[in-house]
Amino acid sequence: MKRTSIITIFSVVAVMVSLIACSDVKRKPNRIYMPDMAYSRAYETYSVTQEQVDELAKQGIHYSNMPVAGTIARGEELPYHLKNDSAGYAQSATVKNPLPALTADELNEARRLFNINCAICHGDKLDGNGPLYKGGNGPYAAAPAQLVGNPKYMNMAEGTMFHSVTYGKNMMGSYASQLSRKQRWMIIHYIKTKQAGAGGASTAAADSAAKPAGATPVMK
Amino acid sequence: MNYHHRRKLQKANLLLLLTATLLFGQATFAQDGKTVFQTNCASCHNPYKRATGPALFGAFDRWGGNEANMKAWIKNPTAYAEKDDYAKKLLNEYSPTVMTAFSNLSDAELAAVIKYIKELPPPPTDNAPTAGGTAAPAQDNTLLFGVLTLILAVIGLILLQVNANLKKLTDDKEGIDRGEPIPFYRNKTYLATAIIGLFVVGGYLTVQGAIGLGRNKNYQPEQPIYYSHKVHAGINQINCLYCHGGAQEGKHANIPSVNVCMNCHMQINEYAGKEKLYREDGSEVNGTAEIQKLYKYAGWDATARKYTGEGKPIEWIKIHNLPDHVYFNHSQHVKAGKVQCQTCHGEITNMGEVKQFAELSMGWCVNCHRETQVQFKENGFYSIYEKFHKDLKEGKLDSTKGITVEKIGGTECQKCHY
Repeated sequence: MKRTSIITIFSVVAVMVSLIACSDVKRKPNRIYMPDMAYSRAYETYSVTQEQVDELAKQGIHYSNMPVAGTIARGEELPYHLKNDSAGYAQSATVKNPLPALTADELNEARRLFNINCAICHGDKLDGNGPLYKGGNGPYAAAPAQLVGNPKYMNMAEGTMFHSVTYGKNMMGSYASQLSRKQRWMIIHYIKTKQAGAGGASTAAADSAAKPAGATPVMK
Repeated sequence: MNYHHRRKLQKANLLLLLTATLLFGQATFAQDGKTVFQTNCASCHNPYKRATGPALFGAFDRWGGNEANMKAWIKNPTAYAEKDDYAKKLLNEYSPTVMTAFSNLSDAELAAVIKYIKELPPPPTDNAPTAGGTAAPAQDNTLLFGVLTLILAVIGLILLQVNANLKKLTDDKEGIDRGEPIPFYRNKTYLATAIIGLFVVGGYLTVQGAIGLGRNKNYQPEQPIYYSHKVHAGINQINCLYCHGGAQEGKHANIPSVNVCMNCHMQINEYAGKEKLYREDGSEVNGTAEIQKLYKYAGWDATARKYTGEGKPIEWIKIHNLPDHVYFNHSQHVKAGKVQCQTCHGEITNMGEVKQFAELSMGWCVNCHRETQVQFKENGFYSIYEKFHKDLKEGKLDSTKGITVEKIGGTECQKCHY
C-alpha cells in the first residue's frame, strides 16, 4: 500500500507540473536541431550591427548597405535639389512634373499608391477626411488638407506639392523614405487629375496662380 | 455651478442673437463660427491639442478678451506683432513657423470664429471608462478540465481497490481461497496496457517534438514597444503597405523605420481609443506611455517639438524566420501573386501582439502552391506562359480550375532552394 501511495502522489504531481508548465503564450522560440544551413553567412537585411561594420572596417572591408552616394536606381527620377527651407518652398512652385501624362494603368497604380500612403489622412475622395481624422473624431488632431475642394490646394503648383511630400509640411511628415521620386510624381499626377475632374485649375494654369502672394509669410 | 454657467451662456447667446437680428435684420445670415474654423483654421489649430499652432481653447482669455486685437492679428500676424508684446511672444515661441495671414476673411467671419473660440466648452475630462466596451478576456479552461480528469481517475482507482477488497471479503466469507491478490502494479494486464499507452503517447510526443524542432508557430515574443496591429491596421484602417511597403518592392517586408511612425505620432501623442489594450498575460497597457517610449527612441522632445538627435533604433524582435536555405520573396507573392497579407500572417488586424500564424514549414508552402490558382488575367508577370494562355483560351484547360502554382513550376526544388 505504501508503494501505491508513492506512485499515486508522484503521478499527480507530474501531471500538475506538466499542466501548469503549458502556458499558451509562446514567448521563446523553439529549439533548433542541426541548423546547418539555417543561418545566413551573408549579411541579411537588418542583421548588421554597427559593431560588425566597425569590425569589417578593421579588416579593410568597407561594408555599406546603402546605395553608393550619387547613384540613381534604374527607372528612378533625377534627384530633387531644392532645400528644405522657405526659399526652397517658394522656388518649388516653378518645378514641373518630369513625368509625361499617365496612362490608364499608371493612373490606377498612382491611385493605389495614393490610397495606401495618403488616403489615411487626406481621404480616398481627397476631401481631407480620411479614417485618421474622421471629421475631427479620429485620433489625428489637425485637419488634413482638402486636396479637392479647398482652392488653396486646388491651385497649388505641382512642384510645391512635391516639395511638401518630400520634406513634410506642418504636421505631415516626409514621405521620401516610403515613396520613390517617381512614385511621388505619379501621385501628384493623380491628385491633379482628380482636381481637374472636380473643376480645379489645370496644371498649366496652376503654375501661374499658385505663387504665394508676394511677401506673405510662408508657413513651414 | 456648471448648470448656472450654462444658463448664463444660454442667456448670453439669446441676447447676442437678439442684437444680431436687430442690427443686421434678415439680410445677413449668422456666420457659423465652426464652419469658418474648420475651413480656415483646423489644419493648423485644434481646439484642445497643440498642432502646428497652439490649442485655441482659452485663446480669447489669453488675448485679454480684446476682439479687435485678435482680428488684427489674424488678418496680418507679422505686421501686428510689431506693436503688440503678446503677439511678439507668440511669434517667437512658434518660430520659424509663422501663422498665415487671413486677410481674405470678412469682419463678420472673424467675429464668428472668435465667438466660436470664446465659447468652446472646456475639454472633456479624461476619458471616463466606457460602459460595456471591455469584455473580460476569454478564460482558458484546460487546467480545470485537467484537474477534473485527474480527480475522476483517482476516484476510479480507489473504487477499483474497494471493489477488489470487497471481493476478497466475500471470498473469505464463502471460504474460497484465491491466494494473495496481485497488486495492480504487478497485474500483467495493467502493466501491458500502461506500457502500450506510454509507447503510443511517448512516440507521438517524440515525433511531434522532433517535427517541431526549429518551427515556431504561435511564437509571440514581447516587443520593446507594445505596438498593436489591431489599433493601427484594424481600428484606424492603416494599410499594411503604408508601413511595410517593402513587401511590394522586394524580398523583405521591411520593418518601418522610426520616421514612418513619427509621420503620425508627431501629432498623435496619446492613446484615447475606446478599446482598452491588454498584453497576452492579461495586464493592461497604457497606450500613451508606449507612445512616450517611441518618442524616446525617435529622440523627439514632445514639449519643445524638436528632435534632440539622441534617437536610437528600436530593436524589434523578428518573428517570422526562414532558414537561409530557402529563398522567399515578398514582392513575388504580394505584387505578382496578389496574395493577401492575411493568408500567411493571419488575422493581423485583430492582433494586439503579433504571433506567428503559419507553420512556415515546407509542407505548408507546398500545399499552398498546389492549391492556389495563379491570377493569369491582366497580370503582366505571367504573360510569358503563352501555351497556358492559349490552352485556356481554346478550352483545353478547365478555366474554372485554372492554373495552380504547381503547374508553372511552383513545386520544383530549385524554385526555392538554390
